Amino acid sequence: MSSLAAERQPRLASQVAADTTGGDVAVELRDVTKTFGQVHALKEATLCVRRGELMTLLGPSGCGKSTLLNLIAGFLAPDRGELEIDGHRVNDTPPYKREIGMVFQNYALFPHMSAADNVGYGLRMRRLAKQEVGRRVADALALVRLSGIEERRPHQLSGGQQQRVALARALVISPKVLLLDEPLSALDRSLRASMQVEIKEIQRQLGVTTLFVTHDQGEALSLSDRIAVMFDGQIHQIGSPAEIYRRPKDRLVASFVGDVNVLRARLGSIDRTTATISLGGQSIPVASEPLAGCKPGDRADLFVRPEQLHLSETGELVAAQGTVTTHIYQGGHVDLYLLSPVAAGGRLLVRSSEPDAITRWPVGAAVGVTVSGADALAFPPQDDKP
Amino acid sequence: MTSQPFLRIFVAPGALAALALLAALATVLQYSLRLYVPGSLEAGGFTLANFTALLKPLYARVFLETVWISFLTAALTLLVAYPVAYALVHTQSRLTKAAILITAITPLFLGEVVRTYSWMAVLGNNGFVNSLLLALGLIDRPLQIMFTRAAVVTALVHVTLPVMVIMLAAALSHIDPNYAKAAQSLGAGPIRTFFTVTLPLSMPGVVAGVTTAFAWTFSAFATPQLIGGGRVNMIANLVYQLGLASFNFPFAASLSVAGLALTLATLGLVRLATRPLDKLGPP
Amino acid sequence: MSRSRQRALHVAGTLVVLAILGFVVLPALVVTIAAFNDKAILAFPPQAWSWRWFAKALAYPDFHSGFGNGLIVTGWASSIALLVGGAFAFALDRYAFAYKRTIEAILLSSLIVPHFTIGLGFLILAAQIGLARGFAVVVVCHVVLVLPFVLKSVYVSLRNLDRRLELAAAGLGASPSRVLITVTLPLLLPGLAGGWLLAAILSFNEFTASLFVTAQRTQTLPVAMYNYVREYADPSLAALSVIYIAATATLLIVANAYLGLGKLLNVEPRR
Repeated sequence: MSSLAAERQPRLASQVAADTTGGDVAVELRDVTKTFGQVHALKEATLCVRRGELMTLLGPSGCGKSTLLNLIAGFLAPDRGELEIDGHRVNDTPPYKREIGMVFQNYALFPHMSAADNVGYGLRMRRLAKQEVGRRVADALALVRLSGIEERRPHQLSGGQQQRVALARALVISPKVLLLDEPLSALDRSLRASMQVEIKEIQRQLGVTTLFVTHDQGEALSLSDRIAVMFDGQIHQIGSPAEIYRRPKDRLVASFVGDVNVLRARLGSIDRTTATISLGGQSIPVASEPLAGCKPGDRADLFVRPEQLHLSETGELVAAQGTVTTHIYQGGHVDLYLLSPVAAGGRLLVRSSEPDAITRWPVGAAVGVTVSGADALAFPPQDDKP
Repeated sequence: MTSQPFLRIFVAPGALAALALLAALATVLQYSLRLYVPGSLEAGGFTLANFTALLKPLYARVFLETVWISFLTAALTLLVAYPVAYALVHTQSRLTKAAILITAITPLFLGEVVRTYSWMAVLGNNGFVNSLLLALGLIDRPLQIMFTRAAVVTALVHVTLPVMVIMLAAALSHIDPNYAKAAQSLGAGPIRTFFTVTLPLSMPGVVAGVTTAFAWTFSAFATPQLIGGGRVNMIANLVYQLGLASFNFPFAASLSVAGLALTLATLGLVRLATRPLDKLGPP
Repeated sequence: MSRSRQRALHVAGTLVVLAILGFVVLPALVVTIAAFNDKAILAFPPQAWSWRWFAKALAYPDFHSGFGNGLIVTGWASSIALLVGGAFAFALDRYAFAYKRTIEAILLSSLIVPHFTIGLGFLILAAQIGLARGFAVVVVCHVVLVLPFVLKSVYVSLRNLDRRLELAAAGLGASPSRVLITVTLPLLLPGLAGGWLLAAILSFNEFTASLFVTAQRTQTLPVAMYNYVREYADPSLAALSVIYIAATATLLIVANAYLGLGKLLNVEPRR
């Protein structure tokens, strides 16, 4: 088939058909591996993106998330494994036939074209009639609330406007998948927050399957339907933001997503479903699965979110003792740093929403720390498990 | 921030060099307006006679020939240099990159005489091309390739190729590769990506390269002299003949001035024609 | 199917580039082979082989004096151009001064102004003040011609230099001249070396302007070579060209290994 425009109509029809028959997988990767020389950028990644969902690829730089995005876009070819978009194998399909929309980190708006010509580029490549292009460009710019800047060149637009043009350019071709490569990292903080909301709203409104790459865990938690957390070329966990935050599968995920305290403790008891960790005077229930193979009395690291730690007077029943070293006032809450021999890094972070925490626990005060809530997790010590 | 500790001693030598160049150019301009006194290196009074003499068909033809050869050379060099520059920038292997770079720019450092002489070995009656064609039985006696405009242009393309490659590669290497990726993600195949994105974004390099190639060809001397052999004449040959063979400095000077004016006018036209491209804005 | 089309495009592109590079090296290859021809004319392919033209070229007195004169002119011109261009590039990058852009434009104009115009200008000028037979005019002319290359090379290095390093040195108590000597100059060394090398090679090979400004006593190697071709048809010059090509290519390969020509010529992506 030579003309993409000719392929376009049947595709839209088949997409509707697929929707009604319940085929709900938009992108699927099976055991996809990619190496660059000696570097394993991606190791046997398996991933399913459901139709219409917004999935985030989250991980530190160099974890392979951009490689994965580039594989889906077709800018890279996998060494091994299968890659499907809309149920069709696309391993050998070049990027320009994959019907994907992509927003780049620096937007990559063509500097020699106006905003309108940028947005219309994909439509012109599909050889749509001039009037049709004009109409759809106007619609797309209205969608991102940018009408009136059609004739401006990219360098005449603000960062936020460039970002919207880039989004409109990627969306106007009705892509099968929208790929966003750290699209907000170039924006300043306040703009980033409002663009997050806007991207999410537009994504809901259009129902377009979206894959969003970021290293910012806050962004991932607030935007996503599901998150895939990646380290070192591997997908460690896939789940909803709440699952990722509350039930991280391993210590890497637990440390990367949200703030976390690591406390040196011992395993109290363990059975098939639950285990208890004894720490100071407290016995804390945790899931037993990550501790499989450990025996009571073995060392274990307890992972606790700062908001699950509470300060009290020192005494018999507390989990740990510490000395307050620093207060950081955060507006809605206070972060208190404690020196504590039990903490893995020597320091504990306690997040208190009590308004008088600063006066009540002054710097230098010896305090007790208790653990509350059902979301504590424990993992075997680091040297046992990489 | 406003302290400029070495301002004078750093600027003065450069200013002096600029003055020397200006003085040389002013001398040429001044001599072009002086009367030729046969048999003397000194020039006579002021006159416009040198410039009216330039209008003679003999000289006008040389001017036209020079412009035409320069134009042909610049255009052909662009066509030949672009693929090399593109390969140089886009090849992944460091070794291939170094090999392309060194192969492409070595001729730049060989000088006009060595290169022109080498082309005589290729194009001459006993040269490579004729020997090859004879050996293949395509011709039965040597073709007259030397002393033709095609031969001169071929050698001149070879002369300007390195500098064109450098300028195009500089422009291409500064184009963000994400532009091409964006075009592909929007449905443009490799060829359409090139013509709608890469080529327009490399225009500053194209303009710079064509301009330089034109200017270099315009002042070429050894190549038309040795390969043109008096049958393909360019301005430089005329200036040399008048200045160093007949010692008619005033007329040689007026030819130089006219040549310089023509260069500047042509380059001005090129800039004007490509003006809209300057509005690309910062990268 | 389209992957195979892409591959076909790639192969076609590679072949085109190889053909063009073939065009670039063809004259050098042909002249190299022709240099070993035993016959006294420039011909290809040789019927009988001989080294005798190398011996003759190396013994020819005009080539000797041309080489010597070339070294004198190149040594002076490239060193002066390095000092003048390096200092001026620094001033261009850092300072504001009167006629900054004008002086820059004049210095760069020697890239565009025909060499015969510049050569003729210096010839007449030197004749007027009685210097037409000495090295001074040749050196000055060469300085003006190679200055743009030094300027550009040093300017690019200055642009790529992290100014904070100088501020750090100044903050640690170094005076402006000590900052220049201990921080700026060492960091600029590759750019300065590259600029000097470009200037030296171009000066050594400069022909058109040299033809005007050199006298019999000061003629440089390219001028001597040109005069030889005009008078003799034997392949001595082919032999000399081979030596020339080999020396230049070696120099460039070494320069590329130590200085990175790609960076020097600004043809590598910024990163």
